[in-house]
Amino acid sequence: MKIHIYQIAITLISSLMIFKGFENYIKGKNGQTVLKLLVRIIVWGGMVLIALFPRFTNILASTIGMEGNINAIILTGFILVFLMIFKLLSAIERLEQSLSQVTRNETLKEIKKED
Amino acid sequence: MTYFENSKIFIVIPAFNEETVIQGVIKEVQSAGYENIVVIDDGSSDNTQAKAAELIGKMAFRHKINRGKGGATKTGIEAAKLLGADIIVTIDGDGQHDPKDIAKIIAPILEKKCGVVLGTRLLNPKGMPLWKIFANHFGNFCTWFLFGLWVTDSQSGFRAYSKHAAELINTRADRYEYDSEVIREIHLHKLKFKEIPVAVRYTKYSMGKIHKQGFINGFKTLYKMIWGLIS
Repeated sequence: MKIHIYQIAITLISSLMIFKGFENYIKGKNGQTVLKLLVRIIVWGGMVLIALFPRFTNILASTIGMEGNINAIILTGFILVFLMIFKLLSAIERLEQSLSQVTRNETLKEIKKED
Repeated sequence: MTYFENSKIFIVIPAFNEETVIQGVIKEVQSAGYENIVVIDDGSSDNTQAKAAELIGKMAFRHKINRGKGGATKTGIEAAKLLGADIIVTIDGDGQHDPKDIAKIIAPILEKKCGVVLGTRLLNPKGMPLWKIFANHFGNFCTWFLFGLWVTDSQSGFRAYSKHAAELINTRADRYEYDSEVIREIHLHKLKFKEIPVAVRYTKYSMGKIHKQGFINGFKTLYKMIWGLIS
């Protein structure tokens, strides 16, 4: 089996992302859940699988009933883009909430001191 | 001595760029017999805090940056809790609510009939523009559909909470979706609530303010409500 540079790059990046996911989960970082870890493994693991075994898309296409494997790739691409947007919006939401909390603490610091 | 005399009732007024009306609102609340008034200036670019401070001193707080009506209301409620409030009433800073209605709003809590009272404009919509009535009905439907509790005015800012309810209600929303999140919390914690008709005073001033809940903001609020559920 001939390995291309892009396959090595995707495998390395994906492995790193999965490793970070495990690290975050084990260290119990804020907001880390089993579900998030699973999603991370499925997304990045799926990318490794497709990169190393491109014919996997044929199996996927026939399993979900699509004619050509290009459709499966486009669909996977859409899912990945959706997940990325979802993650970005979640991060913005978390930042907004942190900002509100900091603003609130600053506003109420005087009465908190007295309390 | 009655429970009313013993209870510490705090009136929370979130305000954004309301320097021309805030003193009138505070004076009306004081005339209605309430001394514990907390104003949260939500990062206004005018002198809202200074104007409020002339009447209530240190109880005029200021957000350094604008966080939205929900964020300011939550800060006000936190302040009231820290100051030992037994009952917390929230009222809009643009003067659309009549402080004389506060007595009606707090009565069920004083009588220990419920933990939350929602002032509803739609049981008494006199003076309310038709489009606003329609928009509020739409807001009520969305709130019921997403959060599972039907109320007649899900977007009203005129509400009262017992100390217990204020401790339980935990919202994340900073903008106008805050009002609907409170409804979700009432449902979630199975809090007893009552709806009381309140008067509404839509003036040229309050209708002209660009930051008020308009058509586009309404959809933003809906999007935020849905996002809050899936994120």
